[in-house]
Formats: sequence, C-alpha cells, structure tokens
Amino acid sequence: MPLMSATPAAQLEARLAGFAARLRKAGLPLGTAELLDALRALQYVDVSQKSMVKTALKATLAKNKNHQALFERIFEDYFIPPEEHSLRAREEARRRHKLELRYEEAARSLQFKGETLRLSTEEMLLYTSLPEEQRRGLLNFVRQTNEGKNVGPQFRPLLETVVKGHLSYWRSRMERSEPGAGGSGAANFGGAGSGSGENRLRQMDIRLIRNDELPAAEALIYKLSQKLVRRLTRRRKASRRGPLDLRRSIRNNLHYGGSIFWLRHRRKRPPRQQLLLICDVSASMQRYSVFVLQFIYGLQAAVQNLESFSFSDNLEYLSPALQRQKGLESLLARVVNESGNWGGGTNLSAALQQLLGSYRHLLNRRTCVIIVSDTKTLALEPSLQALLRLKLLVKKILWLNPLPPQQWRLYRSVDKVRQLTEMWPCHTIADLEAVVAGRIMADANNCYPNIDQEGGAIL
Amino acid sequence: MKLTLSQLRQGFAGAGYICDDSVVLTVYLALTLQKPLLIEGAPGVGKTEMGKVLARILNTTLIRLQCYEGLDETKALYEWNYQRQLLRIQMSKDTAGTELQEEELFSARYLLERPLLKAIQAEQTVVLLIDEVDKCDPEFEAFLFEVLSDFQVSIPELGTILARNIPVVVLTSNSERELSDGLKRRCLYLYLDFPSVEQETRIIMARVPGVGEHLAEKIARIISFLRRQDEIRKKPSIAETLDWARALLALKRDRLDGAVVADTLNLLLKTHHDQQLFHSRIGPEGINRALSHPHVEEGGCRCR
Repeated sequence: MPLMSATPAAQLEARLAGFAARLRKAGLPLGTAELLDALRALQYVDVSQKSMVKTALKATLAKNKNHQALFERIFEDYFIPPEEHSLRAREEARRRHKLELRYEEAARSLQFKGETLRLSTEEMLLYTSLPEEQRRGLLNFVRQTNEGKNVGPQFRPLLETVVKGHLSYWRSRMERSEPGAGGSGAANFGGAGSGSGENRLRQMDIRLIRNDELPAAEALIYKLSQKLVRRLTRRRKASRRGPLDLRRSIRNNLHYGGSIFWLRHRRKRPPRQQLLLICDVSASMQRYSVFVLQFIYGLQAAVQNLESFSFSDNLEYLSPALQRQKGLESLLARVVNESGNWGGGTNLSAALQQLLGSYRHLLNRRTCVIIVSDTKTLALEPSLQALLRLKLLVKKILWLNPLPPQQWRLYRSVDKVRQLTEMWPCHTIADLEAVVAGRIMADANNCYPNIDQEGGAIL
Repeated sequence: MKLTLSQLRQGFAGAGYICDDSVVLTVYLALTLQKPLLIEGAPGVGKTEMGKVLARILNTTLIRLQCYEGLDETKALYEWNYQRQLLRIQMSKDTAGTELQEEELFSARYLLERPLLKAIQAEQTVVLLIDEVDKCDPEFEAFLFEVLSDFQVSIPELGTILARNIPVVVLTSNSERELSDGLKRRCLYLYLDFPSVEQETRIIMARVPGVGEHLAEKIARIISFLRRQDEIRKKPSIAETLDWARALLALKRDRLDGAVVADTLNLLLKTHHDQQLFHSRIGPEGINRALSHPHVEEGGCRCR
C-alpha cells in the first residue's frame, strides 16, 4: 500500500532529483533506472521515517561499500529540516571564518625568508591547534633556522620536511588521545579524509603514512595484492567450453562404431600473462619503495609468472631473492643493506639497457611491464629510446607514477614518458588499488587468446 | 507469497537470522519491487545464509547456482541431452516406419535444465541464489543481464522462454572484483558488515543452545576485538564464532579468558600468519585486557 500521501509526489521527485545531483557530483554513477527504482521504493516505505527513506534510497542508489559511505554523509547533509538547514549554514559560515583566521595566523608564523612554508591546509590548521608550548617550540625552531648563518633557499625543503614530520607526530598523538572522535577533533578537520582508519590510509599520500600505521597499511596492501593474484592464477575448475572439435570427436568415438556419442570441444588455454615489475628505489622514490616492494611480494608469493626488478642506477633482479626469502622483512633488509641500488640516483636508461640485454628472454608479446617510478631520471633521451625498444618487444607498458597527477605537467620527463606508456597515478594506496582493479586486472582478463586448441590431443 | 514488512521481520527472527531493521527493509523492497538483491560483504557475514533463510521464510525451493571461473551457459542455463538425442536417432533408424522430425529432437524432452532455467520454469516462485557472482567471468555476468532484467532466456532452437513465476533472486559477492555497472543497475544493493557485539551475542544464543548470555557476550566481544585488528588477514566469520561457541560448550568452558583463547586459537584464526601475529602482538594478556576494559577495547587497543 503506497504511503506517500503525506508528501506531494512532485515535491518529493524534485527533492530526489536534487539529491541525485549531489550524489552524481560526489562521483556516484547514477542513471535514470536507479532514480526510477528509488521512486518506486519510496512508495513502499513510510516517508515520514527518515531511517526508512535512507535505507530505501541507499539500496537503490549506492551500489558499493565506498559509495554507501559517501551516500551516508551526503544524505545526512541533504535531508534536514529547513530551519536546521539555515542554522547549519550560519554555523558553517562561522566555522569557515574561524578556520580562515587560523590559517592566516599559521601562514604568518610559518615563514622562511619572507615566504610561507609549503604545507597543506590540514597541516597549517593542525599547527594552530597544537598545545601552546609545542606551537611556541616549533615557531622558535623556524625562526632560528631563518636567522642561521649561511642558510640559503636550499634549506627550505629540509625545513618543510622537519615541520611536516613534527606535525605528523602531533597528529598521531592527538588521534590516540581522542579515540573514536568524529569530525570535530582537532586532527579531523580535513573533512573528506575522515572516516574509517582503513579508508583514511587508502586516501593518504603514501609518503606521509606514519611508522605506527605501517602494519595496517601492510595488511591493506596484502589484501590488494591478493585481489590481483586471484585474477591471475590459472583456472581451478573445468575450462570454459569452446566450439566443437569435430576431428577429436570422431577420433574419440571410433569405438562406438562411427556414432559420435561423446562430443569434444576446443578449449581456451588458461591465461599465461607475464607480469614484469620494475621498481624504482632511488632517493626520490625511497618512501614509496617499501610499499611497492610489499606489493610485489604479495604478488610473488602466489604467482609464478611474475618477474620483479629494482633499479636506481642499475638493475637488480629481485625474483630469486623473493622466492628464497621467508618473509618480507628479511627481503627488505637484504635490499636495503646489500643492494647498491637503495637510495642511489636514477638511471632508467642503464637499467633498461640491462633489461633488454641480460633479461631479453623474459620479454615477449605476452609480457605486461609495470614500471613504478616518478620519471625523474638521468639521461632522459637515451631512457626514452630504450623505453621505445622495450615497447616494441612487449604487449604493454604500464607506468605507475607516485607523483600526484596535478604535478605531472610540471615535469617534462612525465610528458615524454606518457607518450610511450600508459601512465597511472600511485600516489595513494587507493590509486594503487584503482590501477590494479581497473587496469592490470582488466588487462589480465583480456589477454586470453581467442581460441586455442588443446595441445597435443588433436590429430 | 506477499509478505508485509513485519511478517518478514518475524520470519528472520524465527529463522534465527539476526539482523537490523535496515537489512530487513532492503530485503522487503527487493521482494516487493521484484528486483534481484545483490549482497556484498566480507566472507562469513551471512550472505549465502540470507538466500537459504529467505527460501525458508517464503516456504519455497532454493535453487543455487555456484559461480566459478569458467562457468558458462551450458552449466548455468541449459544443455541438450546429446546422448539421448543420439539414441533416439539410432532407434528411429532401426525401427521401420517411424519418421523422426528435427523439431522433436529439439524439444523440451531432450533439454537438460540447469539452475537458471529451472528457476524460470518453476511452477511456483522459487528463491534463486547466485552465489559468489564475482568469481564468474565478465562475459557470463553480461549474460545474466537478460535473465535478471526481463526474467526471460533465449534458446535458439526453442525461442524465448518467459518466466512462469518471477523468482526471488539473491546474488552474493565477496568483492573480489568490481561487478559491472550493468549488473548493479538491475539489482538492489545490500552491504552486510560483521555484526555488532550485541547482535552477535544474540546470534550465538539463537544458534547454539546451551550457551549462557554471559559466555555468549564474552565470545562476541573477543571475536569483535580480533576482527578489529587490521593486521589479521582472515577475520573470524560468524560460522567460526558459532563453531568456537560449540567447542567451548563441548570443552565445558563456562569461563573465558586469554589462556582459553590461546588454547583454542585454531578454531578462530586459520592462517599461520594470523596465529603468529596473535602470539607476538596480542597474546592472552591482550585478550584479558580487552575483556576487563571494554571501553579500551572499543577504542581500538591494538597490541601489547
């Protein structure tokens, strides 16, 4: 029995259309079909009960876990009584004004040689919410650095790194002292980033993940790599049937006196895609390298057709070590302690030459090469030439770039490399997840040869 | 059978399926709108059980299609009984005066019905459980579109077969891969999370007779604590909770502490990595602390 007589239908439809527009703006892929479903669903719930309306709309409009989390936030923001709406708007204006004042105060204080330090808005606001003593201490440090002898503009990145590290430490302390705090905590004013711990980790710059968050990040990376592994492993059940194989059917049914009693089909050969990962462990990439290695390790543990390399000024073949080592920690210790690569400069050209020379047997038209690097390399032109040679040998080159996409246009090397490869951001774990789920896994799916006959069994 | 919302709620309670009102309402809407229900969630939260319970509540047959890589139409929809067709041809050759028509060979007599066709051809409304749909190939997922949107299937030799009764369709997914927008568009969506401590206590009491409320609550709190440890890779499912509760009953352990958890860890954590992590980072003391300071436990005490 429809229960929407209390609310005029047209008004409800208009409200729903406005809400859908908000959801679309937030990235939910809503079509007309979903909206019609939502309207139909609302006919069967009591629209005077907010929780019922929310459940009905959530089931029809938000169709994955992340979208449901977004839905929750937007719903609570959108469906509020008009009087509360204006009250909230006033509160929001006051809150914004306060934040602006705090930001200006931080920008005035945290300066180096007359210029404001390059910190994120979140970091600036975190500075203003530090305990008085800590704030004064950090300010003194910045001032003393400003006044130091022989302190030139080159010290600015170092100073910014130290300030960021200090703020990161205090954010972690504040979060620990306010467990379960919602969006009101000093450390949570970031807005979009708040939510479950896992979600926050997925969205944050890998470089800024703190040491105490590494186990959780490692578990997340493991989950992600296992997703990829499942798609790449061979079929464990009977293969999909292909078209009828008449020759094999006749041969196998000769003992039935010519009647073809049992049919034989051609089968698709299981995918044998070759993944080849090349991971940049040079100084500019050091912070990302641990994550990428964990990613590689997660794959290597269950996939046989995967080869892994690290490079900075030369190439190092990691696969044998990954197969031998019992755990990731010992592998990392080995890479860091024994390898000459760790923390060196980047020479992609030399690394690729080595790959094309010594490891040519690993490259064929089924190989999908995944390079993880920020493209900052010595000898760019020879590197591009080597990349072109590599491209001609393999199926595809995917380039995972830890630089945020908005910075890509600042680097000529990024532009040049993009012309030769398919480049994807891996600035955050969410980026890594997106490229694994959307591109690498899709690539694995599409690599099946169309029709392959079952080897050896055919006349 | 049309159910009201309160009847459905009572049905779930009667079947021992403890869930909150939003879950019941979503299922009710799927039944009322005659739309497939896509349920996602971690392994062991009760997705498949939902299909079984619905069949019980609706007092109808459950038809299950287990998806896996390589599943195709011949396993899911229909296949011609080729051997029977051949025998029929041979018989017609050996028996003079019987002329065999081609149409006869491609009639329903020679059709092997697979789960999808069975569900569509059923005389009464059945529950069709398409389990772990994320494990099937994208091509098969696209094939499901026709069934799920129009409740009809096309068999080239027979034409289009319309559903006699629209089945109640429940699809489950462990989110191993993102399903296509097309499939999602045709379904209502429900995400099932692990139950709260209070809900799990009720589940244990409903499913394991003989467990007292005090023990059930302690079990639920320990399980909840373990699930919140990010580093644990294979979180204990509801089925494992119930197995553990039964094991504790069998062992006559009416008191629960860290030592008991350590002794029965094999029932809870089922990978070497997770067991090692328990011993190195949590230990019996961590469990005791979580039990004695529930507020610390809720706040996310991670390790010793």
